[in-house]
Amino acid sequence: MNADKHTPDPVVGRYRVIPILHEGAMAQTHTANATPAIQEASGLPGKLVADWHDRAIARLGELLKERRGLQVFMDTCTKCGACTDKCHYFLGTADPKNMPVARQDLIRSVYRRHFTLAGKLFPKLVGARDLDKPMLEDWYRYFHQCSECRRCTVFCPKGIDTSEVTMAGREILAAIGLGQQYSQEIIGKVNSVGNNLGMKKPALANVLESLEEDILDETGLAIRLPLDDATADMLVVTPSADFFAEPHVDGLIGMAKVLHAAGIHWTLSSEASEAANFALFTGQHDQMQAIALRISTAAQSLGVSRIVMGECGHAWRVAYSFMDTLVGGFDYLDPEHPRPEHICELSHELLQSGLITLDPSRNADKVVTFHDSCNVARGAGMGNIKGGQFTIPRALLRASVPQLVEMSSDTTHQKTFCCGGGGGLLTDDLMEVRVKGALPRAQALQAVVSSDKVTHLVAICAICKTQLSQVLPQHDLADVQVTSLHHLVGDALVL
Amino acid sequence: MFDTLVGIAFSLAWLWLVCGIAYRVSVWLGARSRFLIPLAPAPRSRVGVLGRLFLEVFTFRSLARANRTTWLASLAFHYGLLWTLVMHLRFAYEVLPIFIVPFIRFGIWATLALVTGLVILLLRRLLIDRMRYISSPSDYLHLVLLLCIALSGVLIKRVWPTNLFEVGEFFRGTFVLNWMPLPDHAGLIIHLSLVLILLFVFPISKLVHGVGVVFSPTFNQRDRS
Ligand code: SF4
Ligand code: SF4
Repeated sequence: MNADKHTPDPVVGRYRVIPILHEGAMAQTHTANATPAIQEASGLPGKLVADWHDRAIARLGELLKERRGLQVFMDTCTKCGACTDKCHYFLGTADPKNMPVARQDLIRSVYRRHFTLAGKLFPKLVGARDLDKPMLEDWYRYFHQCSECRRCTVFCPKGIDTSEVTMAGREILAAIGLGQQYSQEIIGKVNSVGNNLGMKKPALANVLESLEEDILDETGLAIRLPLDDATADMLVVTPSADFFAEPHVDGLIGMAKVLHAAGIHWTLSSEASEAANFALFTGQHDQMQAIALRISTAAQSLGVSRIVMGECGHAWRVAYSFMDTLVGGFDYLDPEHPRPEHICELSHELLQSGLITLDPSRNADKVVTFHDSCNVARGAGMGNIKGGQFTIPRALLRASVPQLVEMSSDTTHQKTFCCGGGGGLLTDDLMEVRVKGALPRAQALQAVVSSDKVTHLVAICAICKTQLSQVLPQHDLADVQVTSLHHLVGDALVL
Repeated sequence: MFDTLVGIAFSLAWLWLVCGIAYRVSVWLGARSRFLIPLAPAPRSRVGVLGRLFLEVFTFRSLARANRTTWLASLAFHYGLLWTLVMHLRFAYEVLPIFIVPFIRFGIWATLALVTGLVILLLRRLLIDRMRYISSPSDYLHLVLLLCIALSGVLIKRVWPTNLFEVGEFFRGTFVLNWMPLPDHAGLIIHLSLVLILLFVFPISKLVHGVGVVFSPTFNQRDRS
């Protein structure tokens, strides 16, 4: 990974407002290209094809016809600048190409050159550009410095969604031989083994068994983590990080306790042992469909009547917003629960109907704050009420802890800042981008640590949890514990 | 002869404007819209979606969230422009209709809002480093063009008046291909030439955003869960 050589120690200032442009600040960043073997396993060219220019333009033309959003967004940006100071990667790096509109312009300028009258006739006048080698390199660099978090969309008066542009850019790059190693490798593993880790069924069964022993030691109760139980009524699909990573695994244990306490007959699946769907990040709709189908195939072969998704942000967006389109409906599910549900929806429903009891005094030593994950906040919903994705996790938290502190309202709910590691950037060779991109979240957190002595940052996304536990120490916030929401729910649960 | 050429140019401009916008909309609608990508939290009902579109189109709600100065300047400019356009409807009628009278009466305020808004938007683009970085020559020229149109319009109206009845005759003629003479007035010719440029640029530039906003899937889709 040649990127490591170039990656200087991240230096992050504190409480800067809007940085002064620093051109080329992140131009050295380069996440590793997918190896030929990885590319070819997904039916993509192993390395940059000779006629990459023509193929890229042709693919862009196809995407403009396949994705209405992309076409509209190319035409309607007025360069009003409203989005320019809204991206955490720009705020953290000062690189002008990390301003959302500048990121879109990487494609828009090429679009104007090849697909618009004005750009064909007067390229200089309207900022139309050719897709040359330096431009191609900028595509690769800066489309891998966008976490597709859609925060910029919240502020754009035309509703322009930079994530759609980034996805299109990455899709084109992969199609001409420049996939990203991290995401493409994960997509390959999910397709061949069933989860992002490449963890096979016997290994998974072992892990679950040892977790059951841990719970038995802790609670004295035989709480199960069933795998491929064909008699179950409910399939739970959770990110594979929940099986081994800290602090994720405590969230899985919490979920198991809740399901046990409610007397639900549930199971995990070895076929669909992964909630994540990295093809959302790479913009590859065919792959996204294949990965989503695993879940509905597993649900049907296990004969369950409910599907519940664990704490994973983008998996929830795919399940909530795209599943219908991808797998064509859920007639096999219980008509009372006709779509995949979020574990927070389930726990909240159990709490309201009195099937579980939570005692916040069991978390009396904690002062918590809640980090809204971008894909949940801006890409999905919960509870069939507008804004349920904000109120439901908070209601669960309030029932589980004595004190919930909110961070600045500019950084929560719909305006939440990405953790800095979403969208396929959670890889070591992008560590500098990740640390700098976490700056706005770290600043907001620092403020509540100072004012309210917050001890725990709660998240409901596997990527947020991994990213924040890794980068917060670099922002002098090593003392804040990053925690799964269901860890706290599990601890407060009266068993 | 010259007047006839200007007349023909306007007739073509109306056609170009209508066809150009229709073509752009057909490109948008011709593209597939397979995935649901409304910006959450999204309205759950169709009425809710209409409400969202209304707020975006008429109050620039998202811009208000982003930046107060730009928001106020944009409101001043766009509503000033709308008001001015209504004033110009007078040229469609031989007898001045009552509903236009108040628009003309307070027209000066609209012009002021329009010009002030444009100046702030232009200054912003010139002075802020982020704005300069994302701007192409055309982005400045659009603003300059609009400013010149506004200022030449003020000139004709307030400083160096022309025969408005004849202007009306001329315009009504351009819609029915009956090209009439224009008053002999250099300021008017400048104003009209600039307007012609604007009409030709509109459907093939970012100016078409006014129509495009409602086609944005992040705004016009609803939460269908
Ligand atoms: S806010 Fe929207 S319209 Fe304005 S510059 Fe950014 S992307 Fe373009
Ligand atoms: S989607 Fe998020 S990461 Fe990408 S440009 Fe917008 S704010 Fe930045």
